[in-house]
Amino acid sequence: MRKEVLIFGRGGQGILLMGHVIGVAAAKHAGLYVTSTESYSSEMRGGESRSDLIIADSEEELDYVKVRNATDVIAMYPPRLGLYEHLIGEGALVQFDTSFNIPKDTLRPSWVKVGAPYTRIAEEELGTPRVANMVALGHFVRLTNFLGLEAVEAAIEEVVKKRWIEINKKALRRGYDLGGVEESLLR
Amino acid sequence: MARVEFINANLAIAEGVMAAGLRFFAGYPITPTSDLFEYLAVELPKRGGVVIQFEDEIASINAVIGASWGGAPAMTATSGPGFSLMLEGLSFAIMTETPLLLAYIMRADPSTGVPTKSTQADVFQARYGAHGNYEIPALVPWSAQEAYELGAKALWVAERLRVPTILLSDATLAHTFERVEFVPVRRAERKKPRVPPEEYRPYEPEDDLVPPMASFGEGYNVMVESLTHDERGYYAPTNEAHRRLIWRLVEKVRRNWRLIHDTKTYYMDDAEVAIYAYGSTARAAYAAVKELRREGLKVGLVRPTALWPFIDEDLKRAVGGARRVFVVENNIGLMYKEVARALRDKEVVSAPLIDLELPTPDQIIEVVKEWRR
Repeated sequence: MRKEVLIFGRGGQGILLMGHVIGVAAAKHAGLYVTSTESYSSEMRGGESRSDLIIADSEEELDYVKVRNATDVIAMYPPRLGLYEHLIGEGALVQFDTSFNIPKDTLRPSWVKVGAPYTRIAEEELGTPRVANMVALGHFVRLTNFLGLEAVEAAIEEVVKKRWIEINKKALRRGYDLGGVEESLLR
Repeated sequence: MARVEFINANLAIAEGVMAAGLRFFAGYPITPTSDLFEYLAVELPKRGGVVIQFEDEIASINAVIGASWGGAPAMTATSGPGFSLMLEGLSFAIMTETPLLLAYIMRADPSTGVPTKSTQADVFQARYGAHGNYEIPALVPWSAQEAYELGAKALWVAERLRVPTILLSDATLAHTFERVEFVPVRRAERKKPRVPPEEYRPYEPEDDLVPPMASFGEGYNVMVESLTHDERGYYAPTNEAHRRLIWRLVEKVRRNWRLIHDTKTYYMDDAEVAIYAYGSTARAAYAAVKELRREGLKVGLVRPTALWPFIDEDLKRAVGGARRVFVVENNIGLMYKEVARALRDKEVVSAPLIDLELPTPDQIIEVVKEWRR
């Protein structure tokens, strides 16, 4: 198994935390090899924010440190899809936060397009848009099925500040319950 | 299994040197090195070590020299501008054969350049930045895991050969988080005198050209002499003494290269074309090699884990029967000159791909294919 995961959004959406939680879950709790880089602009909020992860069963499958042909994408701010489209491989699973507009012209037919309104769910059901990232991450765990939910929960407990652990785990489980690929396809 | 963490190469270096027995760190913060310093400031005291921030890099390396003479495996960490300030101290450590580790996290280009981004511009500064005739080791990791392992090894080499040793990483690796397993490493240990104090001569080498080193407070007369000196450590401004000392300083590193080097090869068994790459750029080269192999090209990767000392025979062995060698590096083609000199019977091609992020596999593939036509 070799996955190239690309997560992108705006500063303030918790993109880097998502990447870090996936990295810790994969490396420490799922027995996988992982390489990750992140990039962000200097503004605190609203700028570009991106996390790249290469995840594999063996060390030999890791080489270049950045995503070149993403197999799995989480578009937390879909209006900026155009900036990253060239990094997404054919047949990729592309997961959208449908709380935002999706640029239809940029979508490729080969992609498996899935999603849910993570930000709206976080805001309406969990009381804060700040955990939209964990809702999306929970959904990612269910859709991609290579990281166990327990591994990601363990990573959250390790990475997130104590008083935020419960709400993050709740958001994670809410996302997980959104269902698999069939239930989540954007049509 | 050993503990596993998801950390960047800087923190991996910190863990590696602690595992090898680091006792003292002095430094001055600089991007992209500071998190290594901050992490050690929290972790090393828990293990009985000392971490101090000094007023600048000059004071820092001198403090490291002092700690080393006090008997502590010691290090500092910096980047280009800070390294420039440390050069006088480094030269002093070379002449006085003071073991120390200097983690050099390269960032982009002259003066303040682009502090958060990387190139591999400083490979020759690591080799000959200081004044004088000398040879010092420089190890060059390509991953966080290897940063852990080579961090430990570089500290071990420094102590074993009684020589300042450089661990040459870069900003790309400093920002790359990976699975790192804290595998067992060798504890850094220096050779101690085996003679009674009255017979001890502080710069008298053994067969491996390394003089046993007494620290202050162990009952031996210790001389820290940066002027050209004889085996007793007395100033000896003669050609005879000077040549003897300088050649020994150089030969002690060259002759013991097997303790330092471990050149890795990938897909080289039947390779007609080799890519020579090191550090973070080798990650892109490895991806390029795999892709070119899938297209049927007989390409392999040669990756030194130490750039200096440069050992021709080791490179020749690694390159084997390949006819053509591309030297891919994130600078103006610095190592190319050494590789071309060592491999006179091969066609050696420079591929200087300056990129603030990292040369991409596609750029490297293009270079290799372009040349095939």
